[in-house]
Order: sequence, then C-alpha cells, then structure tokens
Amino acid sequence: MYRKEYLEKKSIFEDLIVEEVADGNISESDLKKITEKFANIDKNKELKDIIDEKSKDFSENGIYIKAPAGKKYETPFELDYNINSAKKEFNDNNLVIAEKGSELNLVVDYKNDDKKETIHKGLTRILVKENAVVNFIKIQRMNDKSKNYDSNLAIVENNGEMNWITVELGAKETTTSNFNLLKSAGSKSDIKSIYFGDGERKLDLNYTVKHFGRHSKSEIESRGVLKDKAKKIFRGNLHFKKEAKAADGSEKEHVLLMDKRVESDSIPALFTEEDNVQGEHAVSAGQIDENSLFYLMSRGFTEVEAKKLLVEAAFNPIFDKIPLNDLKGSVMNEVKRKLE
Amino acid sequence: MSENQVNLNEIDRSIHDSKNDSDYSNRSKIGLTPKIIREISEEKNEPEWMTDFRLKSLDIYQNKPLPDWGADISDLNMDEILTYIKGEADIQNDWEEVPEDIKNTFDSLGIPEAEKESLAGVGAQYDSEVVYQNLKEELVEQGVIFMDMERALKEHEDIVKEHFMQLVPPDDHKFAALHGAVWSGGSFVYVPENVEVDIPLQSYFRLNAAGAGQFEHTLIILGKNSKAHFIEGCSAPKYSVNNLHAGTVELFVKEGAELRYSTIENWSKNMYNLNTKRAIVEKDGLIEWVSGSFGSKVSMLYPMSILKGRGARAEYTGITFAAEGQYLDTGAKVVHAAPHTSSNINARSIAKDGGHAYYRGLLKVNDSADHAKSTVSCESLMLDNESKSDTVPVMDLNTDDIDIGHEAKVGRISEEAIFYLMSRGISEEEAKAMIVRGFVEPIAKELPLEYAVELNNLINLELEGSIG
Repeated sequence: MYRKEYLEKKSIFEDLIVEEVADGNISESDLKKITEKFANIDKNKELKDIIDEKSKDFSENGIYIKAPAGKKYETPFELDYNINSAKKEFNDNNLVIAEKGSELNLVVDYKNDDKKETIHKGLTRILVKENAVVNFIKIQRMNDKSKNYDSNLAIVENNGEMNWITVELGAKETTTSNFNLLKSAGSKSDIKSIYFGDGERKLDLNYTVKHFGRHSKSEIESRGVLKDKAKKIFRGNLHFKKEAKAADGSEKEHVLLMDKRVESDSIPALFTEEDNVQGEHAVSAGQIDENSLFYLMSRGFTEVEAKKLLVEAAFNPIFDKIPLNDLKGSVMNEVKRKLE
Repeated sequence: MSENQVNLNEIDRSIHDSKNDSDYSNRSKIGLTPKIIREISEEKNEPEWMTDFRLKSLDIYQNKPLPDWGADISDLNMDEILTYIKGEADIQNDWEEVPEDIKNTFDSLGIPEAEKESLAGVGAQYDSEVVYQNLKEELVEQGVIFMDMERALKEHEDIVKEHFMQLVPPDDHKFAALHGAVWSGGSFVYVPENVEVDIPLQSYFRLNAAGAGQFEHTLIILGKNSKAHFIEGCSAPKYSVNNLHAGTVELFVKEGAELRYSTIENWSKNMYNLNTKRAIVEKDGLIEWVSGSFGSKVSMLYPMSILKGRGARAEYTGITFAAEGQYLDTGAKVVHAAPHTSSNINARSIAKDGGHAYYRGLLKVNDSADHAKSTVSCESLMLDNESKSDTVPVMDLNTDDIDIGHEAKVGRISEEAIFYLMSRGISEEEAKAMIVRGFVEPIAKELPLEYAVELNNLINLELEGSIG
C-alpha cells in the first residue's frame, strides 16, 4: 500500500535504498540480523515483548530505507501510506538505517477519511550510525473513530543525531512511545512533541531516553493543549546509565488546560546511576496567561482569535521545524479549527 | 457489615483455638491469628470496638498482597513480627551487645549516657516525665491533651474512636492493615480551639511503651485556629532487634489551625521503615511537614496532605540521605480537593556509597479545586558514581483553572564551586562538606536549634571519610 510512484518521480533520492519489506528483496536473515540489534537493546521486558510480537509482522506494510554512507538527503522523504485502502486494521513496520555520515529527513502523516474506523499499529526502528543525522517528523491526525498505537525505537551511535517531531492531533485513542538509546559517545536525541486533545480524545504519550554513551545529549520537549473531556498521560523517562559520563538530558512539558473537564497526568521521571551527569525536568500546567489574553482582546481580537494566536505562538517554535510548507500549514489550520 | 465480619472472625478463632493449642511453639510459622490479636487487645484492656477493629484489620492484612512496586522487601521476615508482638524476641539486656557503630554514633552526637542506654533499648527508661513536668502543667491549663495513645484510648475514648484510622484506613495497604491489627503506643495530641502551643511537643519522650517504636500510632487533632509543632523521632539511631517499623500518623487540622510536623528519622540500618502519614486540612488550615530520612535499610514514606477546605495549604520540606546499603524511597503526596488550596513541595536527596535515593511523589488536583496552586521542586545530589538517584513525580490534574509547576534536577557537586572554595584556601574535603551543608540548609533552618545542630553533626558523620 506504499505509494511507490512517489519515489520514482524524484531523482534526488539517488542511491537511497527503499524496499517494501513484503516484496522479499531483502533476505529474511539480513532482516533478522538488523532487527536483533533492536531486540537486544534493552532488558526491559515489556519493550522486548512489543518488539518480538511486532517483528513477526513484516508481512503487511513496511519499508526498509537505507541511506548509504556520506549521502545527505535534504529533501524530505515521505512515507506515504494510503491508510484508507486498508481494512479495519492498518499495520506498518519500518526499518531505517542511516549509514556513517549520512543524513535523512523522513515524514509520515497518518490520516484517514472521516467515515472509516481504522486501527493503526505501527513500529518504526531506526539505526543512526556514526555522525549520521535522522530527522523524523510524525504526524497523526486520524479521525475521531480511529485508534492509534505507535512505537518508535532508535539506536544512536557515535556523534549520531536522532531528531523527532511528533504531532498528535487525531484518533479517539492514541498510544505512542518513543524510545531512544544513546549508545555511544556524543550521541544525541531530541524529541519535540505537540499534542492537541479535544472532544473525548485519550492520549498516552511515552518518551524514553537512555543515556549509555559519554557526552551523550538529549532533550524532550512537549507542548500540548487539552480541552473538552480530553485525557492525557505524559510519561517522560530519562535514564542515565553508569559510565554515561558528562551526559546531559532534559525534559520539559507544558500543558494548557482549557476546560474544567480535562484530565492531565504527567510523570516526568529521572533515573540516575552516574554522578557526572546533568539531568533536569520541568513540568508546568495552567491556563492561557490571562494578561496576554486581556491584552489581545483590548486590541480588538475576539476571545477565540486571541486564544488561537496564543496557542499558535506556543506551537510555532516546533511547527517551524516541519520542512514541508503545505504540511505545516495544514497542520496549523487543523489546530486552529479545533479551537473554534 | 462490621458485625458480620466480627462473627466470621469469631468462628475462625475457635477453629484456630482448638487446632493450634498443640503446636503452640510453632506459631511463628502460622503467623498472626485472631487469637493472638485478641490476647494483645485483652492484655491492653481495650474496649471491644478496638478489639473488633484489630480483628478486621488482621483479616484485611491476611488477604492483601504485598505492594508490587517500590522497595524489595523480600528479605523482611514477617514471621518475626509475631515473636516481637508476643514479647518473645530477645530484647537486648546488655549494653555490651549493642552494635559498635551505633554506640559510636551516640558518642559523636553527644547523647548523654543515660539516654544512650534508653535509646539502645537496654537501660532503664530515660525519665522524661520529669523534664516534661513543668511543660505539662502549662499544657493542661490550656486544655491541651498530650499523652500516649493507649492511655488516650481509655481516657478519651470518644475522640479516639471518632478519628482512629479514619484517615489511613486498614485497607489502604498491607502494612496499614498490619498496623491496625497490632498497633501499640504512640502519641495522642488534642489542642482545643484558639490555643497556641509555643513549645514543640516531642514524641521522643513518648517512645516508652513496649513496641512504641515499632507500630506506634500518632493521632493529632488541632481545633479551630489553634497552633502546634510536633516533633517525631530524634536524630540518634534507635536500635532495635526487630526490623520492621509500620507506624501510622493521622493529623486532623481544623479550620484556620496550623500544624507543623517534624521528623528526623535515623533508624538503625537493618530497619524496614514502612510508615504511613496523612493529614487532612480544613478551611484555611496549614500543615507543614519537615522530614529528614537518614537511617533504615529500606524506607517507603510518603506523607500525604489532603486539602479538604477552601484555602487550605500544605508545605513539605524533606531531605533524604541514602548511604551504603540503603534504599530510601520517599516523597510527598498532596490532594487538592477544594478551591484556592495551595501546596509547596521541596524535596532534596543525597546519595553516596552505593545508596539509592528515590523520590516518588503525587500531586492530585480534583475537579472541584479551582484556583489551586502548587509548586514541586526536587533536587538530587550524587556524591559518587556507585550511587543511584531517581525521581518519579506523578501529577494528576482534573481541572483547568490552576497553576502547577514542577522542577527537578540531578547532578553532582559542581567542580567550579569546589575549585572556587579551594582557591580560597579551603581543603577539598571541607569544600565538599560545605556544599552539602548548603544543600540541606533549607531543611536545617526549619528545625528547632538543637535538632538542626544534630542534623549537622549527622551529616558530618555521614560525610566523614567518604568525601575527598
């Protein structure tokens, strides 16, 4: 169900290996070799179970992407899935390898049409090798009948960089996890997350970073809005393993609460086994700043307009990192529409 | 319902009575039975409702699983609890048998000879009554009641019955149930309306009754607009052969009243400290927790404040110092259940020599708590690379018109700071000790002077040899 035409049109992706796993162009043993790396990344049993179960499931949809050493692809590569054509359930299982010194920009936009109830189950695994950079933008705006379960795992090697932008706007229920293993020295990960909970939406967001490498660096920043009867759980786990000397990690969450009926849970956790680290987290929750609102309204904006402006201002630093202007615009419009 | 429950227990009891008589000596394998509970209650000459309450708690205790989170308590020998309760444990009678490190600590802290033996549980009780005589008269004049729980149960039965284990019901968790079944000793404080008690009330003088240090129950009731400061424990390690502490503290703070509850806890390092503390605060009332955790092998301690009345406030200032072989899991819980309530949590922890400091907190804002305000701040200091430090604060917000902030930091002593102090002629060791003292200062300054001094000594003692 992956739209191959997309790739054929673009010669800029020269040398980039893109295969549908189901096509059988990569041998099973090769695949196993790669996925084993992920299966053994952590002794966390829960995580292993997810992987084991999912790895059996390469049959349906799944792309294997490999950027050769030193190749930098600035143009975003879209994982353009046609969810509408799926039956009740849509599964995707993606494997990305960024070889030494390569650079990849990936975008995926999970959306379906308004009528169908779809369950999306996704797994994306990324191996970022020495000095490679992977920027991954994940947008989820499925309809309010659908459910979304999405797991993301990344292993980052020496001086590699894994940057995530996740935008959660849709689905009746969405459970996403994002696990980054900073394996070797100087590895970095950055998670920027935006969510908008309205109606009866339930969001369960899990972001985990494990620092193993020296001088590894991570950041988790989450900004969200909750209104109506939306429920959200934010779990941020920052682990500093022993010998992750001079590692530096931070997590931040800011949530705007726009309705009495919302429920907002946050568990920003820090686990430290190494003394030579810097770790911090900060969480804040509250309403839109009344002074700013008052100021804008005194300048002739209606309350709704003023709120839109303030939410836009809160989200824009993250939205600005979305490389495709059309996509950025349409996502921003969706947020504004939700505020009406 | 409770009547049915009691009947059931009575039937149970008779079965046990006839069957257990023969293997009386093997009782520790069977564990606690309603018969034993009845005996305890009878010995204490308790009213029937208390006996029933103990039996009900025992039933809950036997049916509740151990918590599946937090500390590993598999080493805890639950059967020993029984031998202790029945007074069959070998109580140390000889000062010579008190472990050396405990004696040394007494000396370093400057504890008087007479007190040392009392603390070690070997000598005659340190006669606190004399010290307290003048104070007591003053308190009585004001209508303040301050006595041990067991006496209070007889002399103020109505008040006790109304409040006893209402805040921490026995079905709260397994150890609360155990406490309900076997509690013994503790303090009872009642401060009438508009009375301000100037002198801190110290439970230290009350750790007299047998078992008082193990399953003691503290019940404090502050009438409208009254004020009091209660200090629990002391900074000297209390040595005990029994290694489970499952006390319960229940604090009722009425309208406009202000209560400060301070604890400096330094149990010997074989202790499992599984204490439950809870306060309920009415309109415009204030609960202040000052909590220092230094001792024990394992601690799981989360003082909880329920802000029930409009404008009620809670403050928590805590320091946890986990050294070799210690797992100290501490934190604060606050429930905002009324409008305009506010809370302020300031937790600090230090981990060294392989100690594990864990902050676990809960902040819950109910849907009726508009205009609630809360700030939570956690800081952790790691003194070496063997230790562990974790922070898991949970926030559960159920309304929008609130202002919540949380911050946490972990790290080691900054090299720049040490370098600076050393450039001023201070030795590295002293520089580090200075920084640690500065780190705990916000706690120390909340304590009465003599306790602050002891806290300081304690920290120096802990740091000795481990730093530099």
